[in-house]
Formats: sequence, structure tokens, C-alpha cells
Amino acid sequence: MPSEATLLYPGGAFLSQTPDRIFTVEDFSSDEKMMISAAEQFSRNEVMTVLDRLDAQEEGLSPALIRKAGELGLCGVDTAEEYGGLGLGKNLAARILEYMSLNGSFSVTYGITSGISQLGLTLFGTQEQKSHYLPLLTSGEWIGAYALSEPNSGSDALSATTRAELRNGKWVLNGTKMWISNAKWADLFVVLAKVDGEAFSAFLVERDHPGVTIAREEHKLGLKGSSTARLVLEDAEIPESNLLHEVGKGHQVAFNALNIGRFKLSSMSLGPARDAMGHASAYANDRRQFGQPIANFGLVQKKFAEMAARFYAAESVIYRTGALIDEAFGLFAGSVEGNRRAAEEFALECSGGKVLSTEAEAFIIVECLQVCGGSGSAEEFPIARHYRDARVSRIYEGTNEINRIFLADRFRKRGVSLAASGDSFISEVTGRAMRIDTKDQVTVGAQSDLLLLAYAEQSARLRSKQVADKYQNAYAIFVNWANAEAARAFQTATGEAVALPAPEQSDIEALAEQVYRSGGPV
Amino acid sequence: MLILVPVKRVIDPYAKVRPLADGSGIDTTGVKFEINPFDEIALEEAVRQKEKNPSVEVVAVSIGASECEEQLRKALAIGADRAILIETTNTYDSPMVAEELRHLIEELQPSVVLMGKQATDDDNNQAGQMLAAKLDWPQATFASKVDLGSSAKVTRETDSGEETLELPFPCLITTDLRLNEPRYIALPGIIKARSKPLDRRPPKVTSTPKTRRVRVESPPPRAAGIKVGSVDELVAALKDRGVLA
Ligand SMILES: Cc1cc2nc3c(=O)[nH]c(=O)nc-3n(C[C@H](O)[C@H](O)[C@H](O)COP(=O)(O)OP(=O)(O)OC[C@H]3O[C@@H](n4cnc5c(N)ncnc54)[C@H](O)[C@@H]3O)c2cc1C
Repeated sequence: MPSEATLLYPGGAFLSQTPDRIFTVEDFSSDEKMMISAAEQFSRNEVMTVLDRLDAQEEGLSPALIRKAGELGLCGVDTAEEYGGLGLGKNLAARILEYMSLNGSFSVTYGITSGISQLGLTLFGTQEQKSHYLPLLTSGEWIGAYALSEPNSGSDALSATTRAELRNGKWVLNGTKMWISNAKWADLFVVLAKVDGEAFSAFLVERDHPGVTIAREEHKLGLKGSSTARLVLEDAEIPESNLLHEVGKGHQVAFNALNIGRFKLSSMSLGPARDAMGHASAYANDRRQFGQPIANFGLVQKKFAEMAARFYAAESVIYRTGALIDEAFGLFAGSVEGNRRAAEEFALECSGGKVLSTEAEAFIIVECLQVCGGSGSAEEFPIARHYRDARVSRIYEGTNEINRIFLADRFRKRGVSLAASGDSFISEVTGRAMRIDTKDQVTVGAQSDLLLLAYAEQSARLRSKQVADKYQNAYAIFVNWANAEAARAFQTATGEAVALPAPEQSDIEALAEQVYRSGGPV
Repeated sequence: MLILVPVKRVIDPYAKVRPLADGSGIDTTGVKFEINPFDEIALEEAVRQKEKNPSVEVVAVSIGASECEEQLRKALAIGADRAILIETTNTYDSPMVAEELRHLIEELQPSVVLMGKQATDDDNNQAGQMLAAKLDWPQATFASKVDLGSSAKVTRETDSGEETLELPFPCLITTDLRLNEPRYIALPGIIKARSKPLDRRPPKVTSTPKTRRVRVESPPPRAAGIKVGSVDELVAALKDRGVLA
């Protein structure tokens, strides 16, 4: 036995290895499925019935919903039991999050307080910090927030200028954090600041600490029911013990919260896509033109087939990744160093999943709106809200451009083999394109596209083999799209021509019919 | 005090169902199954009684194929103490359900049987009444309020107003929709349910259904209506069709 535990398929291995099996949502146990449907029921009955009130930010509504979710055990699914959580896996927590995310605004409120605001604490907090704060968050009594961005520091997060100084046994913080989700109703903020203007560090800041104010709720395009405001720190005084992790190690807190945050955002972006597909599919079967339901028309069926294929691939990627993350946590987590390693291992899969799912979400919602014609653009109809809400998915948790730079770069830095397994056209061309070592963004972006397409195609293919009969069409339609995208990216990256393989046989009408029957993704 | 709650596995009442092409039944591919909503109300009521009075024990029972375990696990998660699955793939009509439950009741000797007034799949509304008759127990149907003390007081909504009945134990109560609003299942409840007992046993009933399903088909599609411009036109159209004289 090696003394050091190892993963069978470490981060990045998808390019050079084809696993025998991957985890898919079909593999959740019956108990887990019951939890997932409990979350869906909560979401449909409690959240989806109050959307106008949420968007008006009705006083007390969001905190009350969070408290109610907390009472049902939904606010700490993957937080340890000793801190009021359920101690279950991150993959299950993500699937629950997907169903809690049918509405984009509530998704943010819930996603941050149950996720990224607790993550820094669970990974890097001291025993005292965890025992003090986590039970307040897992019960839904408190709401958490995460404050990294600033007016002059967005993608370039390390350029933050918020300062912290130790004075008379207290940390004194000065600066402005911008775009802070949950700011209006949060009780606890994980704040990134530089000690003495230099050492990037994380702090636990309570709303009631002296010198802490919330300013300027943003008027956004969408997500109107989620609070986004500034956190202003003016000689804010917090106890010395509220430093999270070590001075100068704030980047570990920030970036690991982001790795897992990106993974979770992938699930968050599937929720609205699922809801929109349900509405559009019902509409298409109800709306008659030229003497028949528009659902019968080939071009409408093609839309639903492509939506289903993109959703299917994103879903295959997310829950494969989640199981890998759980495995890494199972092997490495415990010590702070182990926690960090576990959260970092699949960083590139998390990034790829984020880009893939948020772009699938965008595609699906735009197509759903189109299927609904004029009604799609009407505010009384549910799609318009999704259309506005979905836009930010591609901006936060690292813009999709930042993720595209990170992905290929990270892949190279991991030093995993560039020898492609050649288990698909995409894997093969990705292996070839990755040999170009460059910092040119256009090339790097195309390499990242190839990597995420390779991961997605393999995940979609393995799942369709594992779950016989159900996903052949979803896979076939996805791979035909993905191959074409990959060919384009390959040509961008290498400047060389590449011939597309023959398309997989697919049946658009049958896949659309599957969508109509299930009333959403297949 | 033991409360027995029979729960039936039914097709999700909100799902759009379609008949099989040969008319032999409903196409169940890809559809979700749930606890019959009336039974869920009965279960909720039983669990509330238990929360008020810790000496109450709630037992859920289901008759059907092994998949019914899913609904029984849910019943345990909601708060039943234990569950019994009478495992069978036979088709049951209401008299057989009543007979199967009678056997179980003779063994368990519950004080109260609390069950849905009907199931949303077959809409028979008779298993409870048949069971009370077989047991020769007092029964109160369509309960909108239940109070269990030294006797059972049950309020039921009738066409002429609310009626309150008092029944000695043991008795049988069937539930109406207005009795309560079932709770959400809490995740810790699902975890706790893992360690609660679920017994499987074979059926005792040997009879066969007295009724036979001949055919299942969709209702004919509704023909499009017409739009009228005024009240006069409406009255004229109704007279035309002989609806008004
Ligand atoms: C609704 C909402 C909620 C948010 N919630 C939070 C929160 O809770 N906590 C928090 O800390 N932050 C939050 N954010 C902030 C979010 O993380 C940032 O908006 C995001 O990181 C992008 O930063 P920016 O807006 O400053 O854009 P910029 O960084 O200015 O980017 C502008 C554009 O330039 C591109 N770009 C930037 N750098 C590069 C580069 N090196 N190469 C190529 N292209 C580049 C970007 O991709 C983008 O298209 C939220 C934002 C929104 C809109």
C-alpha cells in the first residue's frame, strides 16, 4: 500500500484516460433522490409562487425563505453534522442546489449562504470559528455573503485594495466591496483584504461590527430578487480571532471557494434552464398555428432536441465532477492542507463545467423564449424573467473569459499527460492542439474550448452507455454539435484544417418527443 | 395507542397520463409515483397526533410491488415509526384491499385506522368503508378535523354544514383534503428513516378481483367553442341548442 492515498482519475485525466464508469445522476440512492425531490417541492411551492414579491425585494421575504429552508435541513447539506449540517456529499448538495435554483434570484440568495459563505469556514476555519458561525448559517438563522470584488478589482481579484491592520488587538478594515450578493440581508461576510496593504487575507466580518455599512443596492438587468450591494468598511473593527486561515493566505480561501463555487454555479445555472424548458414545452404543445400545435414543426422540435442535448451534456459533466470532488474530499480532507488539496484537485473540471453549463443555460433560455414567440417576451409569462436573470451566470464566479484562460493554463501546469486517449475525435484534436505552448489568449481560449468539449463529450458518451436506451439521441445530437465546435476551435488554435467525422445518427423528432413527455430536460 | 395508516403508491397526480396504445392501462414509462395525496394527509394527521402524544405509534402499510418501498420510506421520513410492505404483484380491487388490511389489523390491533377517503388513481372511495364493515368498527368518513382523546371526535363537512361525530376506539377514519396541509419532508427525517424498520410480508388474500378493467382511453378532445358578441347572441345561441326554452 502506498502511504500517500491516490485518486484513480486525478484532475485532468479525462484527456488521456477513459474511465470504465462515471457517476451520473441516475446513481443517486433512493434516499438521496427523496432529498432532491423534497428540495424541488420546496422550490416549486415556496419560491416559484412568490416571484413578483421576491423581485420587489419584499421586506423579510428572502430571509424567511432561507430560515424555512434551514429548518428542513437545506442550508447545510454538505457541512459537517457537528456544525448543524447534514454531513452529506458535495455532489448531492449540488443536485439539491439545482432544484433550489429554479428561480435565479433565490438561487443566488440560497446558493451563497449554503455554499460559498460556509466553504471558507469549513475548509480553513478554526474549531472555534466553525462552532460559532456554521450553526447559525446551517440553520438558516443567519445569512452569509462572500466579499471579494471591489469597484476597481473584478477579474483581477488579487488587485483588491481593501486594507486590514491590527490595532490594539483588533483588526481594523478599510475599503469598499462591490457587487456583494446577499449584502442587504447578510449577517456574516467573508471579506478579502490586504494586511498592511500587502498580505492578501480573509476575515469574518459581522454586519453588526462597528464601522460596517451596506450601501447602494444595484439596479440590475435581472436577478432583481437577489440583493447586490456594496459593503463599506470604514475603520471597521473586528476581533483578532476573526482572521480566517493565515495572514497572506487569503488567495487560498478565495480561489478554493471559487473552485467549488464554480462547480456549484454550474448546478445553479441548470435550475432556470430546467424551468424554462418546462414552460416552453407546455407552451409549444398548447399553442396552435396552421391548424396544429407548434410542437409538431421540425424547427421547433430541433430547438427542443438541441436544448435537451446541451442540458444533458452539462448535467453529465457536473455530476461526474461532483463525484470526483467528493472522492478527493474523502481521500484528502481533514487537515487544512488536505482540505485545500481536495478543493483544488478538480479546479479545471469545475471551470470547464461552469463555462459549459452557463452557456447551455443561455442557449436554452434564448431558444425557449423564441419558441414562445411574442408571449416569450411578455413579462406576465415566466420566460422573460429567466432571460434577464440568466445573463449574469456568465459573468460571476470568474467571467467565462477568465475561466477560458484559466482552464488551458491550469491543465498545462498540472503536468498531466498531453497524450490523448484518442477515445473520440475531440480528444484526439485536443491532444494535438494542446501541444502548442503559448500565452496568446485567442489560442489559449480555443484550447480551453477543446478541453471542455473533450470532457463534456466523454461524460455524455459514457453516461449514454451506462444508462442504456435513454440518452442515445441526446448524446448523438450533442456530439454532432460538439464536434463542429471542436473543429472550429482546433482551426483557431492551430491554423490547420481538420475534417469533421461523419455525424452520429440521430432522431430529432424522437428527442423532442422525450422533452414533451417529461415536460423538461430528458 | 397505535395508529395504522395505509398508503397507496399512485402515479403523480399532477402528471399528464396517457393510456397505453392497446387500452390495457396507463403508460407508466418515465412518470413519477407519489403517496396518494389523501393518504399523505392521513399520515400527516397521525404524525401530528404523535407529536402531541408521544405514546402514539404510527405504522404505515402499503400493498403492492417492491417499488412501494419508495412511498413507505417517504412515510417513515415524514414521521411514521415503522412500515409494513405487503408485497404482491396481484391486482387488487377495493374489497381485496379491505380484506388484506383486515388480516393485518387483527394482528396489530390498532386503536385507529386513518386512511385517505379515496386514491387519486382509481377514485373508488370505498376501501375504508368496506374495511370498517368487515371489522364491524365505527367509522367517520371525509374527516376535516380529528381530535383523539378518550374517544375520537371527528368533524366532517356535509352539504348542510359541519357535522361532529364521536367514536369509541377502535375506529376507522377517512380523510378529506381540508383536514391538514402535509409538511415538507425534512432532510434529517430522511436520514433518520434509514434506521426505522420496514417489514416485508406476503399477502394473505387469495381471492381475485370481482371487477375487470375492460379498457382505458383518453376522454375525447373537446371541440372548439364559439365566441358570441353580446348577451342577446348568447341567449339566442343557447335557445338554438335547446338549452334555454
Ligand atoms: C449580480 C452579481 C452578483 C455578484 N456577486 C458577487 C459576490 O457575492 N461577491 C463578490 O465578490 N463578487 C460578486 N460579483 C462580482 C463578479 O464576481 C464580477 O463582476 C466578476 O468577477 C467580473 O468582474 P468585473 O465586473 O469587474 O468585470 P471586469 O473584470 O472589469 O471584466 C470586464 C470584461 O473584461 C474581460 N476581462 C477581464 N480581464 C480579462 C483578461 N485578463 N483577459 C481577457 N478578458 C478579460 C471580462 O471577461 C469581462 O468580459 C457579482 C457580480 C454580479 C453582476
